[in-house]
Amino acid sequence: MEMRDVPTPEIPDSSFYRIAREPLIKIRASHSPILSQLKDAWTHRELLYFLIWRDLKVRYRQTLLGVGWVVLQPLLTTIVFTVFMSKLVRVPSDGLPYPLFAYAGLLPWMFFSNSVSTSTYGLISNSYIITKVYFPRLIIPAAIVGVRLVDFMVASVVLMGLMLGYGISVKPGILLLPLLVAEIALFSLAISLWFSVLNIRYRDVGTLLPVLIQLWMFSSPVIYPSSLVPTRWRLFYSLNPMSGMLEAIRASLFGLPFDWTGLGISTVVTIVLFTYFVYFFCRREEDLIDIL
Amino acid sequence: MQPILEVRKLGKQYRVRGFSRIDPTLGEAVVKAAKSSFGRRNGNTGGHDDLLWVLKDVSFEVLPGEVVGIIGRNGAGKSTLLKILSRIIKPTTGEVDIYGRVGSLLEIGTGFHPELTGRENVYLNGAIIGMGRDEIKRKFEEIAAFAEIERFLETPVKYYSSGMYLRLAFAVAVHFEPEILILDEVLAVGDAAFREKCQVKMREVSGEGRTVFYVSHDLTSIQQLCSRALLIEAGHLIDEGEPRSVAANYLKIISSPHRA
Repeated sequence: MEMRDVPTPEIPDSSFYRIAREPLIKIRASHSPILSQLKDAWTHRELLYFLIWRDLKVRYRQTLLGVGWVVLQPLLTTIVFTVFMSKLVRVPSDGLPYPLFAYAGLLPWMFFSNSVSTSTYGLISNSYIITKVYFPRLIIPAAIVGVRLVDFMVASVVLMGLMLGYGISVKPGILLLPLLVAEIALFSLAISLWFSVLNIRYRDVGTLLPVLIQLWMFSSPVIYPSSLVPTRWRLFYSLNPMSGMLEAIRASLFGLPFDWTGLGISTVVTIVLFTYFVYFFCRREEDLIDIL
Repeated sequence: MQPILEVRKLGKQYRVRGFSRIDPTLGEAVVKAAKSSFGRRNGNTGGHDDLLWVLKDVSFEVLPGEVVGIIGRNGAGKSTLLKILSRIIKPTTGEVDIYGRVGSLLEIGTGFHPELTGRENVYLNGAIIGMGRDEIKRKFEEIAAFAEIERFLETPVKYYSSGMYLRLAFAVAVHFEPEILILDEVLAVGDAAFREKCQVKMREVSGEGRTVFYVSHDLTSIQQLCSRALLIEAGHLIDEGEPRSVAANYLKIISSPHRA
């Protein structure tokens, strides 16, 4: 290797910025405090916006196909279940037309299940960014849930169409809907945080996931009403937060009576799980990079 | 003068597994747990873990406005050091205090998406490396002019030639102005004219009193740009000081047949 003699540059006068008295960044071998990690995530909220924007831009680029797919997935599933569950098995649907009943269940269900299955591979599919730039990793699953939330809203337009078509009149219970959607988003994020970490530690979690999601769907009132569940199993059944939320979403949309106990249980379980999995994720994320 | 960055006894240890794979599956973990609970620990299946220090006992301070070059051969631990300073990986031992905002460019064009247009990628890449939306908006015209791609701003970058792609990625990178900048040889590609443009920009940036970390194999550029150099060999900081003498030391090491 050749080497030329060049004069060493002088250190310029640094009136350019003032040095903070306290370190802005402390890098330690031990875990960073959870609170400072959360604060850090908050300061990176603009990146959250950009990652959501990126995925939506890319997906909705071919407008017809992008929007079409988001609407088609729940719509086709509804048609399939209408044929099998309603016409052949004759599952009751709380006195509602079955397609409307099923679509109103599948829509929030798919918001949840798509969030979780995309997030499970979220850290891996974004590893080309994660290994090059620092930002709180929490942003990745949060952005995925954000994208799925937009999909959910787009597909909701069809639900409104169905409701108009079936002549459903809206009752005051509809005012609870935004809160219920927020709760589903929170629960989706909780499970997404859990699975995204798990799938890095154990790579076969992603393989198991479709089966798990399927089982989960059949143990939630997505395509059948929870009134079908025997009373002695009710309490156990409502420990699954999705069951309380799905029933409450239908009650709010179609003006049915709310099951406050079920909704209460699922809200408590959601808050507990969300708090725990945020903690779990923050604890693990710093070590994950070494095995990513 | 108060240092803007203090590194104390920094070390990074990696576990290099013997027999078992790095990523055991959930299935394997269950089997392993079941086996050990029956007290049938099999010596062969576990394997032994080799511990490897890729960085050990590295301490130094950096004053505001210093442009510090890091020299060392491949695998010496330079990238590990930069990744710890960039907060991408955590150290095993030691600590770092940084009295300013850090931005790192370990590669250019991080997060570029082929389906997005040039304009969109400038915003996306800028946000990922840590520029605010307002900052990108303010510098956008300048970035586009620097990259010389004004006519193709609305074209998806998958249609760009590799030269155009690199220029756009560079253009965002050189307009990134954190208080402490960490650079991993990113300016060392591109054609001669563009490289010169980057070097000029780089001198301009360091002339402003910005603190810069710069890893490079190009000893000439280290001497041109840096006010101080660190030499890392096998995870240890073995020399620091004036770039010229450190570079000479490095040449001595790489010409000797055995590793130090």
